[in-house]
Amino acid sequence: MKDRVAIAAASTTGFVAKNLGRSQASLAAEACVDVIKKSGIARDEIDGLCGSWPSAAVLQSVLGIPEVTWFGNPVIPIVDHVATAAAAVHAGLCEVVLVYHAAYRAVWNTGSALKDPFRRIATPGLSDPHPGPETMAAAVGYTGWASRYMYEYGVTREDFGLVAINSRSHAVGNPAAAMREPMTMDDYLSAPMVREPLCLYDMDVAVDGADAFIVTTTERARDMALPPVLINAAVLGQVRHNEEDQTVSLRQHGQQVVVDTLKSKSDFWIDDIDVYFPYDGFTPITLNWIDNAGWCKPGEAGAFLREHWDSEQGYALINGRIPVNPHGGSLSEGATQASGHIREAVHQLQGLAGDRQVTDARRALVTAGGFFFNAQGLTLHRP
Amino acid sequence: MANEISDDELVQRFPGEGITHDNAAHYRGRLRRELLMNRCGDCGRWHAPPKPICPDCWSSRVSAEPVSGEGVIFMAILLHRGPPAPGVDYSTPYPVVTVELDEQPGLRFTSTVVGADNNDIRIGAAVRLDWSNRVGAPMPVFALKKPQA
Repeated sequence: MKDRVAIAAASTTGFVAKNLGRSQASLAAEACVDVIKKSGIARDEIDGLCGSWPSAAVLQSVLGIPEVTWFGNPVIPIVDHVATAAAAVHAGLCEVVLVYHAAYRAVWNTGSALKDPFRRIATPGLSDPHPGPETMAAAVGYTGWASRYMYEYGVTREDFGLVAINSRSHAVGNPAAAMREPMTMDDYLSAPMVREPLCLYDMDVAVDGADAFIVTTTERARDMALPPVLINAAVLGQVRHNEEDQTVSLRQHGQQVVVDTLKSKSDFWIDDIDVYFPYDGFTPITLNWIDNAGWCKPGEAGAFLREHWDSEQGYALINGRIPVNPHGGSLSEGATQASGHIREAVHQLQGLAGDRQVTDARRALVTAGGFFFNAQGLTLHRP
Repeated sequence: MANEISDDELVQRFPGEGITHDNAAHYRGRLRRELLMNRCGDCGRWHAPPKPICPDCWSSRVSAEPVSGEGVIFMAILLHRGPPAPGVDYSTPYPVVTVELDEQPGLRFTSTVVGADNNDIRIGAAVRLDWSNRVGAPMPVFALKKPQA
């Protein structure tokens, strides 16, 4: 599949940390209409749909796309959607896939979302009984492994704080970002604890908004309006011990599979890239990606960020040139489940990143998702 | 086993828990105040959470057997907020720990710690099994083996 499939265009609605009076279908449709127009195609050229929410059936009906020959609704994060769409294109099941993702403030995320009757209806099983707090399952697991990260490597919360500040400093310059007030280490350290050792600013911000992409053959993408971004390699990595509390160690989970696979399948690696997108749904995930990708030794990601910190800008610039999550990441642009990371990578490689543009960016690395059952990787480039 | 409650009753005793054919024996054990983990009758390896076959040797002779509940804290967090639960007041942060059990390296069980100062609940601390109650059903919890200084 290497370089045979491309992302032809990417669009966003932008993100806000408040409940818009809109449905997920409305948000997704806005991003989808924009990306179809930007790619310069007609809607009847789309013959594949791949997204998270709403369902492919609902989205097709909303957009009035006449016919598709393939569709899918994989689970988040969104490298899954891009990789699955690319595989469908490469296999010939379809040729032009509209990939979409609506981020939506769920009733689990915020009290204000819980007060919205439409959002309550949109949440199946809301009134069902739920298990108690004695678990590491789901998002809590990252807090458990954050405790382990501090214990094993002897680091403090300030290492997590660097990730939060890096994302925020970039979001200040991104009009699509939800959180654009600058953050200092004092701000970080005085934020309320949520699940100790993680505080409010260690967790991504629940937002309303959507991203959309066109995935097609490289050949077809060359006929569209924008420069194609080629998918060099993609991987969804998972290991056997993938329950949050049974995962073997910080050095043995899905991320290592992603890194090893990309290193063997991709034509370029960290020394060759121009922009880096480690997932930041929770700050310890980012530190562990930096460790595991081989930028530094295990446990040294915080020291690595400090060493490459641009104190003028308030973010890390690796080797003086490689920014990390220049859109502001999930922590500050908004919790897009990595659609934001991929969209910004595409825009950087197309030269469409505005004030955030990395000069002549040619290669990007996206390491999305966490540890357990959602570690994902994508190498993208513009030849 | 004789005198065991029905599947319907079991689900009613543990509201909100995702009880399946694979983990029902574990929950029945809780009602007898026994912490049961799955063990393979052929290769002898333990595994968690309960799976329908032995993930090591693929034997179907898997059964839920008691563990001592002795072990060492592997991960430790304090919830300053969390899901509503009877008897849990987050005004004092609520500890949740994953304990590596003595039975086998990597075999872990997650619950809370009772009877300890939050400052003493640390990774590496030795714990033993204790029992608490959640809406009338016994709940396996941990207690620190030695009160910290």
